[in-house]
Amino acid sequence: MGPGTWNAPGGRSDKNMNPIALTWVLVGKDLKIEYRSRQAYLTTVFFAILILVIFNFAFDPGSPATREAASGILWVALLFPGIIRLNRSFQVEMEEGTLYGLILSPADRGVLFLGKLLANWLFLMVVDLLVFLAFVIVYNFSFSTQLLWIVLLIVLSALGFSAVGTLLGAMVSTIRTREVLLPVLLFPIILPIILPAVSGTQEILLAQEIQSLNRSVELLVAFDLIYLAAGYLLFDYVVAD
Amino acid sequence: MSSPINTSWRVARLYLRIADWSLIPLYFLMVVALYGAFLYAPTEREMGDVQRIFYFHVGVAWNCFLAFFGVFLGGVAYLITRKRSWDHLAASCVEVGVVFTTMVLTTGPIWAKPIWNTWWPWGDPRIMTTMVLWLIYVAYLMLRSSLPEGETKYKYCAVFGIIGFLDVPIVWFSIRWWRTIHPVVITSSGAELEPEMIHALFVSVIAMTVLCVTLVMLRMAMRLNSSMAEELTHS
Repeated sequence: MGPGTWNAPGGRSDKNMNPIALTWVLVGKDLKIEYRSRQAYLTTVFFAILILVIFNFAFDPGSPATREAASGILWVALLFPGIIRLNRSFQVEMEEGTLYGLILSPADRGVLFLGKLLANWLFLMVVDLLVFLAFVIVYNFSFSTQLLWIVLLIVLSALGFSAVGTLLGAMVSTIRTREVLLPVLLFPIILPIILPAVSGTQEILLAQEIQSLNRSVELLVAFDLIYLAAGYLLFDYVVAD
Repeated sequence: MSSPINTSWRVARLYLRIADWSLIPLYFLMVVALYGAFLYAPTEREMGDVQRIFYFHVGVAWNCFLAFFGVFLGGVAYLITRKRSWDHLAASCVEVGVVFTTMVLTTGPIWAKPIWNTWWPWGDPRIMTTMVLWLIYVAYLMLRSSLPEGETKYKYCAVFGIIGFLDVPIVWFSIRWWRTIHPVVITSSGAELEPEMIHALFVSVIAMTVLCVTLVMLRMAMRLNSSMAEELTHS
């Protein structure tokens, strides 16, 4: 937080607004917008379920080949709707010029990044878990505690996805062709999280001997940490002026 | 006397002079590299003549990483100093790097089809890393071309160049636990090659490196000239 005599909404003085409290104010704002508009997360979940259904038509349901491919199908259904979320994340800020307000506030740019990131992460986790639930039912997998490992993979990869996505989403928000450009920029960067996520998920779904799961989790954690740090440091450059 | 445009003009001339002077050794090195790869080096016992593509493949591949490191370096230096010449370096390195990566991804399958009986063995760390690199830097060029000229463009490209380069080690490790079939020719215990093969490889690597640097210099001079022309027309 910069020096100054800025008063936070609700008459709290800036003494009380430590970076953590400020981050939560930003997260709360974003989630409130999503909750009130409802449209965004319903569209996102619906889109993901559509992908699951389309794949079910493309492959013969019930055949062993479909079960082999199920992990890949799940991750496609989780990744593509994520793009919708990221595009929306900064679009709502641009529409009424909120982003400029946020930049002009004495809040540290890193805090802005963390706020947007956490909001995107929480949103994606809720959507992803709903999609995962639909996936387990539509693809006839039985519920077991093993599936909690997949939930962990989803949570970790959603964090990495949001970290890179928030940074790039802020960057392309001013570009005219942003809807196309964002996936083109984002997908090559997040390829290394898709690989461990898909192979880890496959091991659990096929009830194979668990071999690469530990590695998958380690890689996802490493990816998340690197891009959290990079985003925190670089966000300043993508939103300034 | 030392107005900014005057300095830029001098720097551009310096780039061009470096490129000019490197042309003579470059011609010489290229001829020697071709001679080394096709005539001097012995034919590989098991693979036959197709192995000779290896000299160019390795020479070019190492320069991809050099060029992309240049992008990273240019990006970091630009964000710190805000000097436009760093952006010139990053942009020129991306262009040359993408061309070189394309060469690696072309020469690789030509060799792999007769030897491994497949154009594209998925799951090999080197191949996958190179392909992801190619995708990242083609995306960089798309980002570059969709932004209007200005400080924002240089900043965004610098940021993307940095996060793209951070991805390289992660991609590498994420694929590494899969079984690798890519031959590891040069290990820490020395190269498993005939001395003539090592000589040919050495010359080829030098020749390709000089080519890479020359091309970057030419592109940087071009960029500097065009930004000077812009300045002149706007002033």
